[in-house]
Amino acid sequence: MTGSTSSAHRPRGRPVVTGLGVLSSAGRGLGPLTEATAHGRTAFGPVTRFDVGARRTTRAALLPDDVPLAPTFPLARAVLDAVGQACRQAGLTAADGARTPVLLALHSDERTRSTTDAVAAGVRATWGTAGVTRVYTGACVAAATAVADAAALVAAGRHERVLVAAGHLVEPGVFAVFDAGRALARDGELRPFSAGRTGTLLGDAAAAVLVEAAPAAERRGAAVLARLAGWGRAGDAHHVCRPEPGGAGATRAVEAALARADVAPAEIGYVNANGTGSTLADQAEASALRRVFGRHLAELPVSSSKSVHGHALEASALLELAVTIGALGTGLLPVNASWLGPDPDVGLDLVLDGPRAARPRYALSLNSAFGGANTALLVAPA
Amino acid sequence: MTTDTARTDDTPTDAARTGATPTDVTPTDAVAAAGLRVLAEARRPDPGLAGPPPPLPGFAASGFNPLVADTADRCLRAHHGAPPAPGRTALLLASSDGDRATARAIDQSAEPGRRPAPLLFFRSNPNAVLGHIAARWGLTGPVVAISPARTVPGRVPQDALDLAALLLADGDADRVLVIAAEQGEDGGHAVAVLVTG
Repeated sequence: MTGSTSSAHRPRGRPVVTGLGVLSSAGRGLGPLTEATAHGRTAFGPVTRFDVGARRTTRAALLPDDVPLAPTFPLARAVLDAVGQACRQAGLTAADGARTPVLLALHSDERTRSTTDAVAAGVRATWGTAGVTRVYTGACVAAATAVADAAALVAAGRHERVLVAAGHLVEPGVFAVFDAGRALARDGELRPFSAGRTGTLLGDAAAAVLVEAAPAAERRGAAVLARLAGWGRAGDAHHVCRPEPGGAGATRAVEAALARADVAPAEIGYVNANGTGSTLADQAEASALRRVFGRHLAELPVSSSKSVHGHALEASALLELAVTIGALGTGLLPVNASWLGPDPDVGLDLVLDGPRAARPRYALSLNSAFGGANTALLVAPA
Repeated sequence: MTTDTARTDDTPTDAARTGATPTDVTPTDAVAAAGLRVLAEARRPDPGLAGPPPPLPGFAASGFNPLVADTADRCLRAHHGAPPAPGRTALLLASSDGDRATARAIDQSAEPGRRPAPLLFFRSNPNAVLGHIAARWGLTGPVVAISPARTVPGRVPQDALDLAALLLADGDADRVLVIAAEQGEDGGHAVAVLVTG
């Protein structure tokens, strides 16, 4: 461990996940998402929601037809659907909800406030919460930052439970500028860590988790889906949007997460990588993993489930936490889909061809974002 | 030490010169309630500043990012003098409306016949300007952006102070630079406070 992470405080309140809801390109609920990511069933298809005729890339991973978007406030209603799944699974009552902060991750645009208001009205009416406590808009680490903060609040004994939700729907403006910025894969497939990767692809997602103190969950008789054993957040201090090539910030985020849990690198049995399919970002992430895991990296299964469900931006980290929890539950590690061949600058033990059977004691879910932001969530089976 | 209008607890003469006290920016009770100590402050508008903030290369389409970057820069200079900042400093941007001009430009990019500007890609979220500040000052702490429901121009929202306190207590940062900014029709308001636990 580096000295910079020595002050990462160890969790006392033992945060666990007692409810999880998700809408993704695989469908509604964790089951279809776990199945699709385990077997590498990619969900990318032509974008039909709006005109992409003028774009270089025309594909994304949209919600399937059997999960239709609501005609009004579609993003808020998708988030509320995920929240409903999570709260029902956790057996949350309105009395519990009244004392439960709600952290929400959304894209920052002219619709952020109206979406937040609609989510607030929904959670207030159905789950008795005071509304939305805080909105995170920090790009692709927004949801992971919210989860880390929720875990910190629970660990410190400030709250018995915190609801975290996030949503992103593929929409024309962001699609247009990502396409213009040549961030989207020209060949229409998201190939993390692969030779010949050409970029990322966007995806729809709404997800929610109820983070709860283990003793509180036990008192309520709520089943534990997974433990949030550690978390870390750190910056690259490098560039407005490019990652630091050596993965310095991601390294510090992972080290902070491990230090909080007092877990050694050798104890990690799976990494759900950020793996966007971008040439530079995947390379930087592989460098970070080399720095943290050293010789253990050769036997550490890694995959990016974005290769299946796409990049859900502000919701991506919560979607990928759901994938990681699903994999810990089934014992099938997700496939890094659409891989064409090795990139000599990567050198990871990628899960290829089919799901890998394993029962990791700990798994990491990693995310990075513009501004050099990095997060690591350390998850353990219940 | 700097000669601009940013203030720091190390330079009481700055506060004396401007006639300002920390309560102008961040009410003392709010800071105390969050368990924080203010190391330095800067704001815009400020009686000692004339004209708009200097342009920020790559961010020319919107006044929001220069407002954020300049206010952050003056606050950090007030405490540290010159880059880099030692230790782990987190960045926390709190803005209710965010970068509206860029958000509008992104929405308009998809209109028929429009040619999206490639530079809009890297300005498509609030983290980008935080990356600029972090790179310039070597800030290696968490990079966080939030959108508070209600803000008062020139004041740091209580929720941002609470979150700064959480980041410090949780151990991922030694200091937090909190920047509250709203663009508005009048050139905007921003305040930056460098806080520690």
